[in-house]
Amino acid sequence: MSAHRVVGRRARKVDGLKLVTGRTAFTDDIDLPGLLIGKILPSPHAHARIKRIDTRRAKALPGVHAVLTYQDVPRVPHTTAGQAWPEPSPYDTYLLDSKVRHVGDRVAAVAAETRAIAEEALRRIEVDYEVLPAVLDMEHAMDKGAAVIHDEPDSTGIDDAARNLAGEIHRELGSAEQGFRQADLIVEREYRTPRQQHAAIEPHIVICWLDADDRLVIRTSTQIPFHVRRQVAMILQIPVSRIRVIKPRIGGGFGGKQEMVIEDICAALALAARRPVKLEYTRHEEFFMARTRHPQVLRLKMGVKKDGTIVAHHMKVLAATGAYGGHCTTVQGNTGSKVLPLYRAPNLKFDCDVVYVNAPPAGAFRGYGCPQGFFAQESLVDEIAHQLGMDPIAFRLKNAIRQGDTDELSAQLGEGRKGLPRLIRSCGLPQCLARGAEAFGWKTRRTGGRRRPGRVLHGVGLACSMQGSGIAGVDFAGAFFKLNEDGSFNLQVGATDLGTGSDTVLAQIAAETLGVSLDKILIYSSDTDFTPFDVGAYASSTTIISGGAVKKAAEKTRDAVCCFAAKLLDANPEDLTCRDDRVFAPGGKSVTMGEVAMFAFYKEKTQVMEGSSHFNTDSPPPFCAQFAEVEVDTETGQVKVPHLVTAVDLGVAINPMQAEGQAEGAVAQGLGYTLAEEMVLDEAGRVVNANFCDYKIFTAEDMPKLTTILVETEEPLGPYGAKSIAEVPINGVGPAVANAIFDAAGIRLRRLPIRPDAVLAALRAPEAAR
Amino acid sequence: MFDQLRAFHRPSSVAAALRLFASERRAGGRGRFVAGGTDLVVQGDRSLRFLVDLTRLPLRYVKKRGRGWAIGATSTLSDLEHAPALAGLAGGILAEAAGTAGSRQIRTMGTAGGNLANASPASDLAPPLLVLDARLVLAGRGGRRTVPLERFFRGVNRTVLDGGLLVEIVIPPPPAPRGGRGGAAWSFQKLGRLASDIAVVNAAAGVAVDAGGRCTWARIALGAVAPTPMRARRAEAALVGKPFTRAAADAAAAQAAGETRPVTDVRGTAAYRREMSRVLVARALGECLEQLGRPW
Amino acid sequence: MSDLVIHLRVNGEPRRWTVAPGDLLLDVLRREGYWGVKRGCETGECGACAVLLDGEPVNSCLMFAAQAEGRGLTTIEGIAERDRLDPIQEAFLEHGGVQCGYCTPAMVLCAKALLERSAHPTEAEVREALGGVFCRCTGYKKPVEAVLAAASTGRGGRAPVRAAAARPSRAAARARKEAGR
Repeated sequence: MSAHRVVGRRARKVDGLKLVTGRTAFTDDIDLPGLLIGKILPSPHAHARIKRIDTRRAKALPGVHAVLTYQDVPRVPHTTAGQAWPEPSPYDTYLLDSKVRHVGDRVAAVAAETRAIAEEALRRIEVDYEVLPAVLDMEHAMDKGAAVIHDEPDSTGIDDAARNLAGEIHRELGSAEQGFRQADLIVEREYRTPRQQHAAIEPHIVICWLDADDRLVIRTSTQIPFHVRRQVAMILQIPVSRIRVIKPRIGGGFGGKQEMVIEDICAALALAARRPVKLEYTRHEEFFMARTRHPQVLRLKMGVKKDGTIVAHHMKVLAATGAYGGHCTTVQGNTGSKVLPLYRAPNLKFDCDVVYVNAPPAGAFRGYGCPQGFFAQESLVDEIAHQLGMDPIAFRLKNAIRQGDTDELSAQLGEGRKGLPRLIRSCGLPQCLARGAEAFGWKTRRTGGRRRPGRVLHGVGLACSMQGSGIAGVDFAGAFFKLNEDGSFNLQVGATDLGTGSDTVLAQIAAETLGVSLDKILIYSSDTDFTPFDVGAYASSTTIISGGAVKKAAEKTRDAVCCFAAKLLDANPEDLTCRDDRVFAPGGKSVTMGEVAMFAFYKEKTQVMEGSSHFNTDSPPPFCAQFAEVEVDTETGQVKVPHLVTAVDLGVAINPMQAEGQAEGAVAQGLGYTLAEEMVLDEAGRVVNANFCDYKIFTAEDMPKLTTILVETEEPLGPYGAKSIAEVPINGVGPAVANAIFDAAGIRLRRLPIRPDAVLAALRAPEAAR
Repeated sequence: MFDQLRAFHRPSSVAAALRLFASERRAGGRGRFVAGGTDLVVQGDRSLRFLVDLTRLPLRYVKKRGRGWAIGATSTLSDLEHAPALAGLAGGILAEAAGTAGSRQIRTMGTAGGNLANASPASDLAPPLLVLDARLVLAGRGGRRTVPLERFFRGVNRTVLDGGLLVEIVIPPPPAPRGGRGGAAWSFQKLGRLASDIAVVNAAAGVAVDAGGRCTWARIALGAVAPTPMRARRAEAALVGKPFTRAAADAAAAQAAGETRPVTDVRGTAAYRREMSRVLVARALGECLEQLGRPW
Repeated sequence: MSDLVIHLRVNGEPRRWTVAPGDLLLDVLRREGYWGVKRGCETGECGACAVLLDGEPVNSCLMFAAQAEGRGLTTIEGIAERDRLDPIQEAFLEHGGVQCGYCTPAMVLCAKALLERSAHPTEAEVREALGGVFCRCTGYKKPVEAVLAAASTGRGGRAPVRAAAARPSRAAARARKEAGR
């Protein structure tokens, strides 16, 4: 039971009423006179130059108000990745270009009075393409003679464009070579992970218009309103001050909206037509015109002593960033920096190449490189523990990073730039393992090799993981309070609630600090005209960074309130306490917050208002232990997961109900990643399964029984001790399931998603698979 | 997007529906019949200029007729799933199959006639209906005719309908045991990637045995493993006249798999489908064995 | 033939709409201001567009508006009483069943249809009823808990329209099949 009054409560979402009644809330829930519909003409080719593009017939169609090609817009190299400036991603993207680099890349855009007219206008645009050879296989993208995808002279930040190498990372701690010489056992394995789609139920959507002051207003479903403002300003060459970005409620993002996907082109259309324009992706377009998770090939080599001590670990990653390089070194950097240090090996080596291919671009996706890395690492340590005859929990505890340790690798592998060393000030991993194992019944359920024969084999497996909470030295946020006459407070934050409930969590932090009830906090977020800056919702930063700003600003506000209350209570401000919507003097006398407000306003002629910014120089990891039970049907190869336990050290849970919901949603996406989801491209670079019938996500009927355990530790760097939970629970699902399949059937599946035919093949060729 | 649609007709009789369709066709322009729309709308054919909606026709019924059953073409999948008249027919496999199609919303909208007229190789209704020797009543300008379901499908999404209309599914009485301790048994199997999916493979089986356990009648049907839903006739023939045992069932399953012509798509490879045909037929026949009191 | 005029009831209120022959119900509903009906996929897979047609859930993205002639539609806007939420809506709030909220209207409607038919569903039946509404945020656990909680208050739906007997759910059928293995 929390010692706090509001923090730690399973409070209902502050925006819940409008969501549960379907009231206007989302980007599309607005009527604008003169609204036009924008559509993008996607490339049918994976790699081609536009030799000729003629838009005259499209422009002549009645009802068409703007048609844009590369000839009509400024050419400004940029990245669409939503990252703090200067972005650690190549500037290799153009609003519209004379070259297309994936099926679905932008060729042109139109704005018209109806969707039907817009679609007809697209059909009337005449394009002659010079089709170029396409590079589709990431393992051959750097071959001599492979077509060069970014041969333009003005892109910057590409490691070696001539070899299609978007970025590369090489880091070493200690000496892996020496470490391996000390090993009693060395195991090398290769793992493969697929392209996954965010599949947020609300597609990407943006509406742009010029307001009465001729400023560009962008109303968009985004995780990064402030980055969008900066990016659009740069791309369209208009000042930041002439742009306002508003984020309404969002129907999910998961990283797919940590990207400026369509705001720039919609704004360009609105400016060209001088009318409001709505641009919304269809579900089909989502699958090949948005972003994906980076597919990877991971080659791991781990050396251990007979007693299970890891002495060396070398991870080699080949990743495909698709046609554009947003997030290419940061996602993959995470695959190294957040995964390798989970175990305290003295010798760690990370080598990574990220290549361009003519496929839809990859970007941020919950976990941000960790799901790939933990699938590989947690499968490998499970295999090694088994070979050594060691209990898998004991093996992990023996090697796992501990409270008080310093993670040196982070200093080398910041998110794309030189990072900062990470000190582990809170670590609940042992409790996660212990409580998770108990809730799961781990001891009694392990077959330990004594498998019951039958058509359906049962097994259990586990995996550990960690993540970060915000990007150290980079992520920052502002928060601003103003007091109202009834003792309520407006709280303005740039922080971006994408359905995560951050508005509620931040309001809880505010209410706790100010000593008022939750309904006294009126939170307004993510409007670049009215809220302070925030980098946006990514890197599991909102609770710890934006929450940190809220707490600081609330403390300043409380102090200011107490100055006025002191006059009413005839006491010293430092001796006052705020609690239960009142301000108390040491003797017990009190006034209501409302009385203080009226006094401040009308007697003292002052608006109580305070703001603060906040950032951290470290990124405290949340820790997670997950346990999966599987049933393997030996006739069909199908794998079902009846039960999955997730135990997360999230620091202190500001809102345990929302925190559990985050974990459960992450697990659902993790299960899809592990067993069902893969974007499949054909030999021409087209996405074959670009719809929900062919790309399957888990439904209510597929989900296992989920047990979620919140393990609380106190993190000094977080408000009220909080860390984060948004991403980490997705990381361990894949390896826990894969390890459970080994327990059940003695086979190792090293490629995600785990398809039934692969399971059957492994069952029938056991030697090769083990 | 159906922005090019000129007309949406909602007749209330079969005759009117056929007349409207024919006259629209004569006026030039492509059109189709529509009921639930769960396939037609998804297919998004912009070349359609007219639609004739069938949901007002008096074709929504599921009832016994004589010793058999009659299902009106605009009965929904949900109607079939819950129809009391179908609960006892062939162990309920038709109702069961209808219940596996799509989601709750899709089953409320989608119709039996639409499902068959769409002629997906993976139709969930087709295997049980094939096993039940269903016949379809088709109405055209020239009157009505009845065709066996097997002759209705011509290829992927192609049927014998040409401007005509499927109005009724007729199911004859299934083989009854001839006195003594013989009996009949039925099973439906479906494999999907997740709980709700287009079938990777689906299968239905019906077996009748005499008092001595000898198979007197057998039907095995498979979907999603050929351009149309199919009967595995050689596997059926291999069962008839012989003792119905586990070994016979397994042999028939292998035989049935050999009769399939599956393709590779996102739901599965051809090789996997062929193997799963064997597995599902073996499971279907295994359930039949159980129902007949035979050991696995 | 150009535009059609259709008469129907939406949330109990009579409505007269002018629609084009090819207009889909989802588009017309949103055009008429029912913004609680969401666009998610337009191919009838995600269920975000689900509304009740004479009490039964349908995907409005797959239905032609003309087919709503003479029918009764229920959208999320018709679920709450003037000043009181439906117990299902209360339960979603109380149990954390709402995250981004984009699928929530469809879930509430599908739950409503279930509880009207079957006042005390099993968990498997709730999962089946929600099986056609995709959620990418919650993992479905808390929405299912919310529906069960609403059912257990006994006020989740009015008296069942049809007898609950002899209505084997797909979930039950599948469980029987699995158990037989």
